[in-house]
Amino acid sequence: MTVDVSDDELVQRFPGEPITHDNAAHYRGRLRRELLLNRCGDCGRWHAPPKPVCPDCWSTRVSAQPVSGDGVIFMAIFLHRGPAAPGVDYRTPYPVVTVELDEQEGLRFTSTVVDAANEDIRIGAPVRLDWTDRAGVPMPVFALQDSAS
Amino acid sequence: MSMKDRVAIAGASTTGFVAKNLNRTQASLAAEACVDVIRKCGITREDVDGLCGSWPSAAVLQSVLGIPELTWFGNPVIPMVDHVATAAAAVHAGLCEVVLVYHAAYRAAWNSGSALKDPFRRIATPGLSDPHPGPETMAAAVGYTGWASRYMYEYGVTREDLGVVAINARSNAGRNPAAAMRAPLSMDDYLSAPMIREPLSLYDMDLAVDGADAFIVTTTERARDMALPPVLINAAVLGQVRHNEEDQTISLRQHGQQVVIETLKAKGDFWIDDVDVYFPYDGFTPITLNWIDNAGWCKPGEAGAFLREHWVAEEGRALINGRIPVNPHGGSLSEGATQASGHIREAVHQLQGVAGDRQVAGARRALITAGGFFFNAQGLTLHRT
Repeated sequence: MTVDVSDDELVQRFPGEPITHDNAAHYRGRLRRELLLNRCGDCGRWHAPPKPVCPDCWSTRVSAQPVSGDGVIFMAIFLHRGPAAPGVDYRTPYPVVTVELDEQEGLRFTSTVVDAANEDIRIGAPVRLDWTDRAGVPMPVFALQDSAS
Repeated sequence: MSMKDRVAIAGASTTGFVAKNLNRTQASLAAEACVDVIRKCGITREDVDGLCGSWPSAAVLQSVLGIPELTWFGNPVIPMVDHVATAAAAVHAGLCEVVLVYHAAYRAAWNSGSALKDPFRRIATPGLSDPHPGPETMAAAVGYTGWASRYMYEYGVTREDLGVVAINARSNAGRNPAAAMRAPLSMDDYLSAPMIREPLSLYDMDLAVDGADAFIVTTTERARDMALPPVLINAAVLGQVRHNEEDQTISLRQHGQQVVIETLKAKGDFWIDDVDVYFPYDGFTPITLNWIDNAGWCKPGEAGAFLREHWVAEEGRALINGRIPVNPHGGSLSEGATQASGHIREAVHQLQGVAGDRQVAGARRALITAGGFFFNAQGLTLHRT
């Protein structure tokens, strides 16, 4: 399934996101609820955030490929205040986690955790990918693996 | 030929810092510190042929100060070891001979709610009305909170370990008339402060201030002809490793700080056993703990225990081995968020013997480990011969 959106429309649908030619495919992936990270077509290494060449082998055969989104919480913080965002209410401290993804050691993605009590959001907890909406566009988030799906 | 000891800081001046919006510009604050340091060094603006700072631009500040001619100027990126190292390299390369280095700390609309209410500051902050990404990021300052969570997890330490850093800074600031926050801070005060980004609270974060520092960087030879004792630049480094994004950094034991430490040890002539004052950066308390660990004062994860072990209860601060103060000016946490200009200025004052009530008797060598982890870890060793 492909979603053809112009660069103009992409920028309009993700206001404030620093979209570039190097990461546009990642944002297009979000629109179809696919979490895409860059992977080298020659050496097979994953890279985040997106880079225009493979930082390992310098191949330019780099493309955005889907990851499972399964991983383990590597860092976990709770914002008691922060930037205004639709659906975010800091009266309950808002979790932000960096997740180390199963695909490769050191490959990480940062988002929030949904449908979990803050005391259960701990470093080391296994998570899976989930999706929510932010201002009408899909946003990749994490859910605890031991929570009901 | 290495620039080791061939370039010196001839003098340092400060306006002092306040945690409120002065009705002044960054140019006004920078100019005050610059005029003072030129006078204290016993030179004139005609002697200055290099200018180096971030805000205001060198062009603006040259015009404000009426500096007739420059043969070199630079606007590097904070923190301030970058400016001192770059200016020193320019001097050593012969691009110029006397550099005026400056930093104006300024409460901006993005770091202070009251600054946001000041219309002049609001319009001086580019991009303020642009749409911003959401909160789901570890980028910029947030990253230190992420790594604080990791520090506590990996080493099994508590917020009290972070609190020791904040209390040490505040007690030191009590002796520094230039500091913005000088009232003593207790562990109860620290632990009951409002959480901002958990696990970091108000007192884990540096203090937005108005104020400025300025320095004269010149050849050691020329500095000897100026009014104050030259402080020689023994080694300087801006350390960075490949995985330098906040959420991709490999570990607390593998980031820019290790490059800084190994470089200073390899290129410099003295190390921690020989220093009289130590300046670990403290934009956030976990940075300080990680610097103390990584510099080798103690084992990884033991910095909080190390500070407690060297604590002088009646002074409310750490003195390593009973003699080495840690950020004796109060650091970014209590003097104010100077992006390390305060750390460098205090090091210069200590080595020149002009640090007032904070003076370490006979101080000859200073170690500054400035900046954070990712793309801003910096080091500087200074000494007086």
